[in-house]
Amino acid sequence: MRSLLMLMAVSLLAAAPARAGELTLYTSQPNKIAAETVAAFEKADPGVHVSVFRSGTTQVMNKLGAEFMAGRPKADVLLIADAMSMQALKQQGRLLPDPGQDVTGFAPGTYDPGRTYFGTKLITTGIVYNKAAPFVPHSWKDLLRAKARGQVVLPSPLYSGAAMITMGAFTENPAIGADYFKKLAAERAISVAGNGGVLNQVQSGSRAFGIVVDFMALNAKAKGAPVGFVFPREGVTAVTEPVAILKTTRNAKDARAFVAFLLSPAGQRLAARQGFIPARQGIAPPPGFPSAGPIHLMTMDIGRILKDSTRLKQQFSDLFGG
Amino acid sequence: MRRAVWLPLGCGALLALAAFPPLIRLAAVTLSPASLAVLASPIARAALLHSVAMGIVSTVLAGVLGTVFAVLLTLTDLPARRTVAFLFLLLLIVPPQITAQAWIVLLGPSSPLLAPLGLAPRPGSEPLYGPGGVAFLLAVEQAPIVYLALRASLAAIPADLIEAAQAAGAGRARQIGLALELARPGLLGGLSLSFVAAIGNFGTPALLAIPGRYPMLTTLIYQRLTGFGLGSIGEAAALALLLALLALAGASGEALMARRRATAPGRVARLALGRWRRPAAAMVGMTLAGLLAAPLAALLLTALLPTLGVQPDAATLGLGNFRSILAAGATRRALLDSLVLALGAGVVLAALLVAVCHAARRARAARALLAALEVPYVVPGLVLAIGCILVFLRPIAGITLYNSLGIILVAYLARFAALARRPLGAVMATLDPALEEAAAAAGAAPLPRFATVILPLALPAAVSAATLVFLAAFNELTVSALLWSAGHETLGVAVFNLEQAGEATRAAALSVVAMVATVALMLGAGVALRGRRLLPWQA
Repeated sequence: MRSLLMLMAVSLLAAAPARAGELTLYTSQPNKIAAETVAAFEKADPGVHVSVFRSGTTQVMNKLGAEFMAGRPKADVLLIADAMSMQALKQQGRLLPDPGQDVTGFAPGTYDPGRTYFGTKLITTGIVYNKAAPFVPHSWKDLLRAKARGQVVLPSPLYSGAAMITMGAFTENPAIGADYFKKLAAERAISVAGNGGVLNQVQSGSRAFGIVVDFMALNAKAKGAPVGFVFPREGVTAVTEPVAILKTTRNAKDARAFVAFLLSPAGQRLAARQGFIPARQGIAPPPGFPSAGPIHLMTMDIGRILKDSTRLKQQFSDLFGG
Repeated sequence: MRRAVWLPLGCGALLALAAFPPLIRLAAVTLSPASLAVLASPIARAALLHSVAMGIVSTVLAGVLGTVFAVLLTLTDLPARRTVAFLFLLLLIVPPQITAQAWIVLLGPSSPLLAPLGLAPRPGSEPLYGPGGVAFLLAVEQAPIVYLALRASLAAIPADLIEAAQAAGAGRARQIGLALELARPGLLGGLSLSFVAAIGNFGTPALLAIPGRYPMLTTLIYQRLTGFGLGSIGEAAALALLLALLALAGASGEALMARRRATAPGRVARLALGRWRRPAAAMVGMTLAGLLAAPLAALLLTALLPTLGVQPDAATLGLGNFRSILAAGATRRALLDSLVLALGAGVVLAALLVAVCHAARRARAARALLAALEVPYVVPGLVLAIGCILVFLRPIAGITLYNSLGIILVAYLARFAALARRPLGAVMATLDPALEEAAAAAGAAPLPRFATVILPLALPAAVSAATLVFLAAFNELTVSALLWSAGHETLGVAVFNLEQAGEATRAAALSVVAMVATVALMLGAGVALRGRRLLPWQA
């Protein structure tokens, strides 16, 4: 038996020669941000070269899924928007646990207790409004007011991980209620694919209110767009942009170094400079954001949302057509 | 008459190798009775119905628009024909999401045109979200396709025939009717391609049908794949099968209705429009202004703003977006890669299909191949891309196509063969066999005969075919979205990534750069081929 295992190990090694100094990263970070992150890591750890494939979370997962199906995944490290996709990969046994990773300063909800994936930042979802909107919203329920009828645009959980988490968290939050999305649909809210589309509609004035991730709205505001962004009083949902190493990696050593860099104070300060709320406590948030304190994060159970996701997506698709 | 069999055989085999293994592999891996059950669901039935309806309505509209332009530009003395033809073809290079976005703004609640007049619709009741908008924008996208296919056939009608009708007392309308009757293979080719393009289109329904809560087959497939993950790839493949069958039906309808006629290209007839010349010119000008100038102006304005929603004035307008995108190495690479891919796919497909379409007059196998090539054009790009990953991830004969431009090129050959076939097929079908028989009787061997008789006659159609493929491939997104890799980006992906990141103004700037590059290339080709009447706008 032991020799059989040895044989398997040897053949695995033969099939996948280690590639010191070469890492392949699949990510859903915007191009510019991904390039900055990689450059900062390569500077901190010279001798490692990182190639990047970037697309939306769903496309990244589709590409990876097809590679699994064909039996030869190319990625070493994965950095995608939401923990749900990571949880799914973990359950399929695709992720390499990294028990040695230092998680001091990270709140327990931001990383997997099994240490397979680690949140790198907090991307919250709140309400963006056009300056010409009939009122400034403070609560998620404001979007159901008569004055907001036909004026709301939201991202689809079929396309956006952040939207999926938001729908899941709302459904189990008694302050908002499981029928929130049904009411939105009745008030003629429309759904577009992703957060970028939501922002376009609100910036250009086609819709007065949008449900969108914080950094996009605040970046647009900083560039002079006639929009404002609020963190509603019931609290906001957040995705953590977790990073993980694939079990099939051919360069676990450098992959671990990449993860450690993202979680280090230097990596977290980079995230703040890029306009994100750092996941590590004690690192100052970017200008324009309230400091982590006043932002009230809704509690949520990633495992349960993952389990319910098909049903929730079906429900959303029935309500909004996409 | 002896024939060179190996030439069409070799070309056909190459096409088949690029086009079918990915789809067959995917079907084999994913289709099962359980996944086929999705076809019986109410949502699938609604989507099928909607897709067929949109396909028919948009094809009728595109047929009218494309035919009017093809007749005016090919057969009449309309002023500024070349310029008009050039501008009409530009409709093909404006990415559909740009046109849709511009019209959403133009006809939306904050419309710069309608709002001052108090005519802007209330939010939530925009006319474009839903079937009306989908049919309208699909028709705009497809009109140049009908135009290109029909034009190739109209240009092949000998002037003598039209002039004979004129001498026999036929009026202008009768003469045009006669010309259209003679050009029927081209018109049917264009209409069937328009139908196939409509049911396979994803970009326009994604922008207009999803917010309009109007499910169609392509949006439903995309939804299954993106929303429910690879676990539902079987359902997506089953729905794609439905699309493939629809496309085959569209293509065979064309084959049944097209009667072949023998014509030999020569001088093209030119009808005098007389007192209709000015009204026709005005109509053409207004159509182009509405369909081309308005969206382009909106796009350019967007590209000059720092971010959407800012009031345009001297302080806010600037070239910052252009500077930042051109400074990025990845963007420059993406432009170059898309250029190489689009040119490569256009030239290779035109070359291979000349031989196959020529053989299709006689060989049933060639006709079957041409019909089957509809399938990779109409299945969603995402489905084709997943099939390509399954086949090409591992090295084949020591060559790994994955993570190179090669895999995208192969996928494009599969994807766009149906586009290239239309102008070539129509012209080859009407080529008078007597020409070749005469050459054979004079002792010309098969290969020289092909090179000296067939090729020169097929050249304008081949250039039309390559142009169609080039224009479609240059902005392509859904296939390359999964197949690109670090260092091998494409333009469509670069624009899409910017849009996804909420950088709408930079995405607009990149679209402007891409369009300027395309126009420069088209003008360059026009100068290089001056006086040869080869390019579709040189009629």
